[in-house]
Amino acid sequence: MARAHPFTGPSLTIAITLLAFLLPAPAGPLWLYGGVVLAALITGALSAPWHGALICLPLWFFLFLLHGVLGADPSWSLGSLSLSREGTAMALGQAARLGAIVTATLAMYRGFSVPRFVDAASERGWPFQYSYLLVATIMAVPRFVSQVHHIREAQRTRGLRLTGNWLTKGRGLKALALPLAFGALAEAEERALALETRSIRAPVRRTPLHVVQDRFADRLARWLGWSSVVAAVVWRLAS
Amino acid sequence: MSPRQLALIPVAVALNVAVGRIVAEFNLPVYLDATGTILASALAGPVVGVTTGVLSQVITAMIGGYVWLAFAPVQIIIALLALAGARARMFRSLPVSLGLGASVGVVAGALSAVISYFVFRGVTAGGVTAITTLLTSTGLPLSVAVTASSLATDIVDKSIAFAIVGMALRGLPLRMVARFPEAGRAIRS
Amino acid sequence: MSVVFEGVSFRYPEARVPALRDVSVSIRPGEVTWVFGDLGAGATTLLLVASGLAPRHTSGVLSGRVTVLGVDPATDPALQGDIAYVTASPEAQLSHVAETVSQEVAFAPANLGWPRERIWNAVGQALERAGVAQLADRHPAELSGGQLQRVVLAAMMALEPRIWILDEPASALDVSGKAMLHVLLREAASSGAVVLVASEDADAMAGVADRMIVLSEGSTILDDAPSTILSGDAVWQVCRGSTTLADLARRAGAIRPASEFCAPYPITVPEAVARWRR
Repeated sequence: MARAHPFTGPSLTIAITLLAFLLPAPAGPLWLYGGVVLAALITGALSAPWHGALICLPLWFFLFLLHGVLGADPSWSLGSLSLSREGTAMALGQAARLGAIVTATLAMYRGFSVPRFVDAASERGWPFQYSYLLVATIMAVPRFVSQVHHIREAQRTRGLRLTGNWLTKGRGLKALALPLAFGALAEAEERALALETRSIRAPVRRTPLHVVQDRFADRLARWLGWSSVVAAVVWRLAS
Repeated sequence: MSPRQLALIPVAVALNVAVGRIVAEFNLPVYLDATGTILASALAGPVVGVTTGVLSQVITAMIGGYVWLAFAPVQIIIALLALAGARARMFRSLPVSLGLGASVGVVAGALSAVISYFVFRGVTAGGVTAITTLLTSTGLPLSVAVTASSLATDIVDKSIAFAIVGMALRGLPLRMVARFPEAGRAIRS
Repeated sequence: MSVVFEGVSFRYPEARVPALRDVSVSIRPGEVTWVFGDLGAGATTLLLVASGLAPRHTSGVLSGRVTVLGVDPATDPALQGDIAYVTASPEAQLSHVAETVSQEVAFAPANLGWPRERIWNAVGQALERAGVAQLADRHPAELSGGQLQRVVLAAMMALEPRIWILDEPASALDVSGKAMLHVLLREAASSGAVVLVASEDADAMAGVADRMIVLSEGSTILDDAPSTILSGDAVWQVCRGSTTLADLARRAGAIRPASEFCAPYPITVPEAVARWRR
């Protein structure tokens, strides 16, 4: 997946997301989930199905509880539990949808390369500001999250308490959130200066730094993904 | 977009994520995942605010599944209402900011309820779903339970978020306020 | 004349006093022009106005006329890539989208639409000249402040700009980094570029600059060769002073008045040795 064209992963993930809602539940999403897990294993994204399941586990639990156990007309017994047949089927379908989408997302983005994405977007003639926004955000998020740790420790030396009643927690929240907000604005000013001085306003098309190959396999995969979506739409409209 | 707008959006999105992490550490029943969106909108207008909101959902979707893109309309509504509030000078004091937040919470909660019910069958994440489950177990129809839990959490969540953004705007140095004309209007008393 | 100020005044938003008052100077190509002054004198503002960043980035009110290569730098996008602007803080000049130093240096040339081969040739040469070729594959976040400043200088070198504007560029650099910077400034001037530097390091700039402009409270007070200004008494009346040696000579003269300790003061070690040996 690491050497796939940068557009292939996101494209297929969007197609899988749409298919998850187009295919008739519960069988359609279940088959889709199975297919996504198999594809992830075949393409080497071995941890995606497992991590996807971990992310979905709380959602699956609540789906089963809300629709299976607490669903209307509990007419189906599972041990000591009375379950709603219709609710359980709905929960199963929704669970498979979430599982398919989350697993596909994790698998597809495992090999996502920010610079290759920028180059691919430049090759397609996208205005640079669109790809800049996406990649600058992807790279900013982990840094800001680590800043939370630094700000927290600095404020703790000033007496910040993380436990206590809601008033104490509210004060603590303010003590952490405000420095983070001010830091964000200061960083925005610095970044704006950097962009000004690095020719971001140049009225020409940006040059891709490297050639990004769009192989036949990539184009075929994207074509198959979108064709499946179109076929599913047509089938749903016809049925 | 100007370089200042291009620079503000990524850090505003990162702020959405980072404040959400802070909230998780405090075990508070809120998310505050629109703080950056509100700030961006109040500072720089609708294009920046809406882009921040949508990009936030894209990032959330990249981490946890594209299905969360379904909540992008909520971020868009929050951005637009935050801008309207800024232009009506509703960040000028804490009580007014809280009132604005609560009002936006009602709208956001209603929209979230619709998305949560029809797209997610009432199961999204964490505290909201737990409240929904609790209400459903008392016999309330799922639609009513989803609406009640969404409204309750969003009113509290947005009140706090707007209060924090108001405090941040009022604490900005004058030279920075001057670079963001919308911000000056928002805090003028 | 490449950078011309005609009666330029500038006031920042919400500021009570203007940062620049009626400044009229012409910065010539082919020489290193050094701007010197106390905190608040207006040196940074002069550089921001020359680069077009004031008022475009800073907001504020500009009066008078500024032309750079014949155009208004604040509004004309034709200057993209012709002006290299370097600040004291290298972190403030990173693109934040590069995963390696090479990509960072290539960022602006790529934005300018250069052919790929030209970009990578320029990047390679710039990294060598800045002494950071061995860091080409490192992530910018892993570098020290001094290394980052060299990367920023390399990024600007890669653009082959016609105008260099540098605001305290040596503050993050070590001794060898400063030496590299001074060579860069002289080479840029020799190649016909306009070089405008704000620095409080009189000891270093005395041997690098061809021309010195002293600002005080937003106005130009002195404009002459560094040796003339730094060896005189006038510079002490408008700001904190001159080179360390001139300061030493001046203080010695205050203790023991003698001809060898009066103006014109020696500003470099060779001058002092030649003067005091007699």
